[in-house]
Amino acid sequence: MKIIHTDVLVIGGGLAGLRTAIGAKRRGLETLILSLVPAKRSHSVAAQGGMQASLANGIKGEGDNEDVHFEDTVRGSDWGCDQHVARMFTHMAPKAVRELAAWGVAWSRVQRGDREVVINGQRVTLTEKEAAHGLITARDFGGTRKWRTCYTSDGTGHAMLYTVSDQVIAESIPVHERMEALALIHDGLRCQGAVVRDMITGELSAYLASATVLATGGYGRIWGISTNALINEGMGAALALETGVARLGNMEAVQFHPTAIVPAGILVTEGCRGDGGLLLDNDGHRFMPDYEPEKKELASRDVVSRRMAEHMRAGKGVKSAYGDHLWLDISNLGAAHIDKNLREVKDICRYFLGIDPVKDPIPVRPTQHYSMGGVRTDHRGESPWLHGLFSCGEAACWDMHGFNRLGGNSVAETVVAGMLVGEYVADFCYSKAGQSDLSPALAREFVERERAGLNALVAKPGSENAVALRARMEQIMTDKVGLFRNGQDLDSAVVELAELLARSRNVGVRASNLDANPELVLAYRLPRMLKIALTVALGAQRRTESRGAHFREDFPARNDRDWLNRTLAFWREGDDLPSLDYEALDVLHMELPPGFRGYGVKNIVEHPDSAVRQAEVDEMLAAKPDRYSRQSALMPFKQLLPARYRARNARLDDTP
Amino acid sequence: MSSNAARTLTFNVFRHNPRDSATPPRVVAYSLEETPGMTLFIALTRIRETLDPSLSFDFVCRAGVCGSCAMVVNGRPGLACRTLTAQLPAEIRLFPLPGFELIADLSVNTGKWMRGMSERLQAWLHMQEEPDVDALEARMEPAMAEAIYELDRCIECGCCISGCGTAQMRTDFVGAVGMNKIARFRLDPRDARDDADFFDLVGDDTGVFGCMSLLGCHDVCPKQLPLQTQIAYLRRGMARQGLLG
Amino acid sequence: MIPASEKPGPWPARLDLLQSVSGLFLGLFMWLHMLFVSSILLGEEAMWTVARFFEGYFFFGYGLPWLVSLFVAGVFGLFVLHAWLALRKFPAQWRQHRVYWTHMRSLRHEDTTLWFVQVITGFGMFFLAPVHLYLMMTHPELIGPYESADRVWSGMMWPLYLVLLFLVELHGGIGLYRLAVKWGNFSDPASARRKLKRLKWAFTVFFLALGLVTLAAYIKLGIEHAPHVGEPYMPLSSRAAP
Ligand SMILES: Cc1cc2nc3c(=O)[nH]c(=O)nc-3n(C[C@H](O)[C@H](O)[C@H](O)COP(=O)(O)OP(=O)(O)OC[C@H]3O[C@@H](n4cnc5c(N)ncnc54)[C@H](O)[C@@H]3O)c2cc1C
Ligand code: HEM
Ligand code: HEM
Ligand code: SF4
Ligand code: F3S
Ligand code: FES
Repeated sequence: MKIIHTDVLVIGGGLAGLRTAIGAKRRGLETLILSLVPAKRSHSVAAQGGMQASLANGIKGEGDNEDVHFEDTVRGSDWGCDQHVARMFTHMAPKAVRELAAWGVAWSRVQRGDREVVINGQRVTLTEKEAAHGLITARDFGGTRKWRTCYTSDGTGHAMLYTVSDQVIAESIPVHERMEALALIHDGLRCQGAVVRDMITGELSAYLASATVLATGGYGRIWGISTNALINEGMGAALALETGVARLGNMEAVQFHPTAIVPAGILVTEGCRGDGGLLLDNDGHRFMPDYEPEKKELASRDVVSRRMAEHMRAGKGVKSAYGDHLWLDISNLGAAHIDKNLREVKDICRYFLGIDPVKDPIPVRPTQHYSMGGVRTDHRGESPWLHGLFSCGEAACWDMHGFNRLGGNSVAETVVAGMLVGEYVADFCYSKAGQSDLSPALAREFVERERAGLNALVAKPGSENAVALRARMEQIMTDKVGLFRNGQDLDSAVVELAELLARSRNVGVRASNLDANPELVLAYRLPRMLKIALTVALGAQRRTESRGAHFREDFPARNDRDWLNRTLAFWREGDDLPSLDYEALDVLHMELPPGFRGYGVKNIVEHPDSAVRQAEVDEMLAAKPDRYSRQSALMPFKQLLPARYRARNARLDDTP
Repeated sequence: MSSNAARTLTFNVFRHNPRDSATPPRVVAYSLEETPGMTLFIALTRIRETLDPSLSFDFVCRAGVCGSCAMVVNGRPGLACRTLTAQLPAEIRLFPLPGFELIADLSVNTGKWMRGMSERLQAWLHMQEEPDVDALEARMEPAMAEAIYELDRCIECGCCISGCGTAQMRTDFVGAVGMNKIARFRLDPRDARDDADFFDLVGDDTGVFGCMSLLGCHDVCPKQLPLQTQIAYLRRGMARQGLLG
Repeated sequence: MIPASEKPGPWPARLDLLQSVSGLFLGLFMWLHMLFVSSILLGEEAMWTVARFFEGYFFFGYGLPWLVSLFVAGVFGLFVLHAWLALRKFPAQWRQHRVYWTHMRSLRHEDTTLWFVQVITGFGMFFLAPVHLYLMMTHPELIGPYESADRVWSGMMWPLYLVLLFLVELHGGIGLYRLAVKWGNFSDPASARRKLKRLKWAFTVFFLALGLVTLAAYIKLGIEHAPHVGEPYMPLSSRAAP
């Protein structure tokens, strides 16, 4: 058996993993990346619309800063996020964009003078400042008060991932591609690396590392139709869950994106609406203003998705062979704009729908899109229960998104988290805890366990069909753990998923080779996916309130009194269901105490501390002269950041 | 699409596992009813789910953006995930991309090739200096940013290598993808390198002077990158550099 | 950084340019050559005039055939240089040949196929053209309406010319098109290529037609002149003098 030693093992070659690896490597640590696919094929590549950072260069970004971005993020999360982390994030986002700009991302830039844009269905002329010419520009996205989303056409994720991936190559960081982590090696207290399967040769080896980082992306593929890449099967979260000690946070918090095409489920970016596209129903009527007169199409994602579903339930959907859908119309933006800023959208329409969005409306429907939940970590990205295990990016729940993430905040999170976690990982490796001995014997034990599992799978034909079980799981998740949820459906989802999990133990594999064998891969991933599905369903069933993307028809109120907390899930070995635990959010230390998001009618069960804290905050705000001192009085956070990242961000309108 | 009865498609798929020396390469035929909107991704997945669970192929984004699924469809390299079966005849031949290490069946190791190319061509931005991330970003002309992005859109799918006779004959040729990378960084004012540096990377017959202008690359590139113009532009620059130093 | 031993040096660049320049000269020359040779269609006197022109007859008042020898030698040199440069691009091993062949058959892509045509035609010219060039170089004085016609018919050169005509027109046409796409700077490459392709085929068809008619003219003249084979053509001017 091969044992590979390294200081830092990063599992995941998406934006989060790559940026973390660069940070650790630059701190002098031997760093190695594992990925199921070549790093540049990771799901990050699919991000289209952009990355939020409060640069405030464009005329519609004027007055933007960390405070506004912070407020938008917290409101967007429906107060479910960790406000310290949200603060760290909004402080770091401009640094991340600027670093990427220097590393090679060709961010779209401000062009001085007049330009025509579409706002609220109307053509408007904006005049950009002379002084801003050539700086990074931004577009509008849902749920934000300023135009803050930096972009490169509609291939932002691509441009970012390629740039960061190229810098990984420049730093000579090895990426072991087509390698799958099957289990974390740990002794119950400390994570020591992972058991890894070479997906080409089937060889199993142990990677021993002082620090292990899970940057494995989301778990969207447990739903049948998802905007996610096919490899987003939640394997990272499952690895953590199967340790029995590490915990997952808020797994029931799952976002449905308003505009995925029907039937393929491929996303067309929020940039379509940000740039002025409209949602229309079967009568060609623009319905969003009826529901959300203020933000209209650019309300928060969870809100738009629910409104669309509501409208379709009211019989206003367009019938099709694949079920009801609505129209996204971007023809009003004009051919030139679409060719320049929405070309991927145009390609998708052309290749998958055979239509031209310059002329034709696009059939869309809300579709599973983003996993707010993930491996629960502290603000440093480390699991409080398993030392040496870090996590970041979509795989993690350090918790800046709470129950709904804003468009453009995710790719921003990946890079910001990478910049920070890379530093914290290095700190850990250089600390005493990080330098304690690793155990090859333990590694051997874990490898042998995985080997036995795989051998058992190929040894029997099995009485269950993995494909059928998976299809059933997807159906249950779509029907019962979707956009609208209720107790009855969730109860039955939990029961059925548990049954499927039991049945999945009888799955066998017909082709007996242990190397490249897709049947084998599905067979060993299926039980893990079912465990993740169960964690999501159980979390949703227990949470008897509506918050952000988690909407319970039987409990429509946001209940801060009983549910202003974070779900923690762990799985004791041998159990049939995960165990849940809750971690309260500390209202008395919030910078932005819980309030009304401003969508629909106000329906909140108040937390007793909210009013107390609000009074305190109002008093402090009145006492301090400028925004920086106000902020640090309300909720100091700079001490949580690595020293090198504590400086203020420069802006065009800074008074010198 | 016609409203007539659905076609029955025959997929003639190349099968081979190079680690299994006992079984020689072969072509296996699978039949499938065509359904509306069927892509090769849907078809191959269905074959795997209902007919042959051992069939290997690579799809990741299934949306035409990640470059994983390039294969040779009826003789032409392309992205399988965004190829609609409606545009193909009822007999469909699927082969793995030539020019890359075969993993199994339709799956090839393009990632390994691309990393090798990147290392060899030092295909990353060579910064003049580490940025000050607290300060305003350096300015760039909007048109320049767009021009760079235009070349940055390559998805490293490998179609241009499989579509290039030169790359097929000479395994050390960097191909259009490599030349496009150099063109991209050469255009970028942030890159510290000059033509003398780029010449060292592509100024020979494994680089731009090995290209015989077959233009297969240009015609098969699924991202419609302007490869013909970029290669010509690079050739002129490198010839100037080689001649005048 | 790259070790100095692996840096390419200026030669690949020079050779690539030389290949293109030699091809360009040869290609353009061959079109002119065709125009000169076809002067026979305007009559025997016209052809005689063109032939003597190149010997400097109208400049010095008498012909200096070695001027033509010199010129042919130059073209010959260019031809050898070009062939040598192009040979570097030939599929050297049998494996490469097979790979290209399979690739071309499967891709069915015009420019890829055209390159193979260039290789085949180039290979053909490699054997056939030197015969012609050698004759022209060593017997420049035997260029003239009757002399040429005798060589074509009685000298049994017409089968060689017929083959060579196709080889050179295909090869040169494709070559010049390739030069354009290889070095050219087009704002709309797709439409530029379409136009270039059309132009290329037009030229090829025109020169093939002209060549065939010309060859037919030489053959006809050669058959007529067969009884007097070897007798040179007398220009009108010298016949007029008593
Ligand atoms: C279609 C689409 C569009 C989006 N657009 C935007 C946008 O415009 N703006 C925005 O902010 N966000 C957007 N998002 C969200 C954003 O792209 C993702 O959240 C983010 O890119 C996730 O990055 P990551 O690095 O965490 O994970 P990923 O990029 O998903 O990378 C995961 C990595 O982990 C590896 N991996 C997984 N499991 C294992 C294992 N067991 N062993 C080894 N390796 C493993 C994979 O190979 C991969 O390299 C979009 C998402 C989608 C679906
Ligand atoms: C022995 C004779 C010849 C051989 C073997 C030969 C071979 C070739 C080959 C293989 C190429 C393609 C090179 C490449 O793609 O890089 C080429 C290009 C070319 N040939 Fe020839 N050729 C010969 C004679 C000629 C003649 C007589 C002409 C004139 C009509 C000519 C004109 C050209 C032109 C214009 C090109 C394009 C040059 C370039 O691509 O740089 N060749 N030749
Ligand atoms: C400077 C060099 C050359 C000279 C002076 C020359 C001269 C001539 C002359 C005088 C003829 C008429 C026939 C004859 O007299 O035999 C002829 C015909 C021909 N030559 Fe050349 N030639 C030259 C180079 C070439 C080259 C390089 C090629 C091809 C590779 C070529 C191909 C032909 C062909 C195909 C014909 C027959 C044309 C026809 O009748 O259709 N020539 N040439
Ligand atoms: S240049 Fe085009 S064909 Fe080649 S790898 Fe890039 S995207 Fe694919
Ligand atoms: S096909 Fe090949 S030869 Fe050159 S023009 Fe493209 S790289
Ligand atoms: S699967 Fe990503 S391009 Fe086809």
